[in-house]
Amino acid sequence: MSDEFVFRLPDLAEGLEDAELVEWRVSEGERVELNQLLGEMQTSKALVEMPSPRSGIVRRLHAQPGDLVRVGDPLVTFEVDENNEPGVVGRVPREEAPPRRVRLRPPSQTQ
Amino acid sequence: MPELSMVQALNAALRHCLAAHDRTLVFGQDVGRLGGVFRVTDGLQHEFGERRVFDTPLAESGIVGVAVGLAMAGWRPVPEIQFDGFSFPALDQMLTNLAKYRGRSRGAYDMPVTLRLPSYGGIGGPEHHSESPESIYAHTAGLKVVTPSCAQEAFNLLVAAIRDPDPVIFMEPKSRYWAKEEVALEPAGLPIGRACVVRAGSDATLVAWGPMVHRCLQVASAAEEDGVSLGVLDLRCLVPLDEATLLTSVAETGRAVVVHEAPRTAGFAAEVSARLMEGAFGSLKAPVQRVTGWDVPYPSGAVEQQYIPSVDRILLAVQRVLDY
Repeated sequence: MSDEFVFRLPDLAEGLEDAELVEWRVSEGERVELNQLLGEMQTSKALVEMPSPRSGIVRRLHAQPGDLVRVGDPLVTFEVDENNEPGVVGRVPREEAPPRRVRLRPPSQTQ
Repeated sequence: MPELSMVQALNAALRHCLAAHDRTLVFGQDVGRLGGVFRVTDGLQHEFGERRVFDTPLAESGIVGVAVGLAMAGWRPVPEIQFDGFSFPALDQMLTNLAKYRGRSRGAYDMPVTLRLPSYGGIGGPEHHSESPESIYAHTAGLKVVTPSCAQEAFNLLVAAIRDPDPVIFMEPKSRYWAKEEVALEPAGLPIGRACVVRAGSDATLVAWGPMVHRCLQVASAAEEDGVSLGVLDLRCLVPLDEATLLTSVAETGRAVVVHEAPRTAGFAAEVSARLMEGAFGSLKAPVQRVTGWDVPYPSGAVEQQYIPSVDRILLAVQRVLDY
């Protein structure tokens, strides 16, 4: 089951009202991991890197570089697995089987 | 049957026990308002109220000490320690009181405490968040040690642990928290202390518990591609240990590889290996092999896959028992 999660511009500094999007580091349709760099915002005080609050697929980027985004306005819409949210610490492990290199010789061939 | 993650199955088990028995209490850091750092207690405070599901201070020894006192007063506490590595500040209460009250009171007091402990590695956690302390607790007489490997077992075993009159250290494999399967939400009614053959095989038996059961199933699938038939035994409970099922399963193949994440020296695989020596020596075709974490403190999450037993490391041990 998947769900939508809208990431709104948080207050990146004390009492900030808006920030300018400098550049995206992700694109629509891309899968991102928790804490992966989404992009950079210029506030009145500093250039701030924005880590992703969730893992999921980027469905929509709501701003273009150069746009002024108000705190609380939508920035990124993610498609997330609603039951696949990591805990406060760590990440969700991948489910696919890990690679193998070792090949077994069956017992009949070894005795 | 609903398809649930292990987190959701554990949540359902807690909800079931809170509803079934009004002396059941759930408490720990962030289990109330937040619903737990992994969402295991999500919604329980809202449903059962702040007197039965409540947050505690960041003080693990206090959490377990409170549980001991509540159990003596007739409650059925289900405390949570947020992470395995933070159970160590509570060792004093666990080893000197929780484990000993039944004996100390000559049976006058039950100690029906189920201490939930998100355990083991595999999620890229920082220090103290990925430990495997099972042999510390298994070596402490008076404690039971239970560790599920999948969502269905998590539901069944947590209900059984909470119903049990003795203290249970319930070690939840964090790396399996999000794995889903169909889960029957009817308590199976089985007591704790039964191992489970999760895959039958004829050439060798892999013995594991918690997160390494899934890893061993991956190994068994890989071995099948090579024409080797591996059985997988999930111990489920380290104390009490289902020695009968262990001995029977290994006697059928004559070869055993025991796998755990914990470091090798004095790890629980040594106990399993000794039991096999004592009870199945005549049927062993090869010395029991162990595949474990290394004898180092659990490493940074960035390199933990070099620490946790890999498919290849387990396959090499399988080859050793096949070749002997």
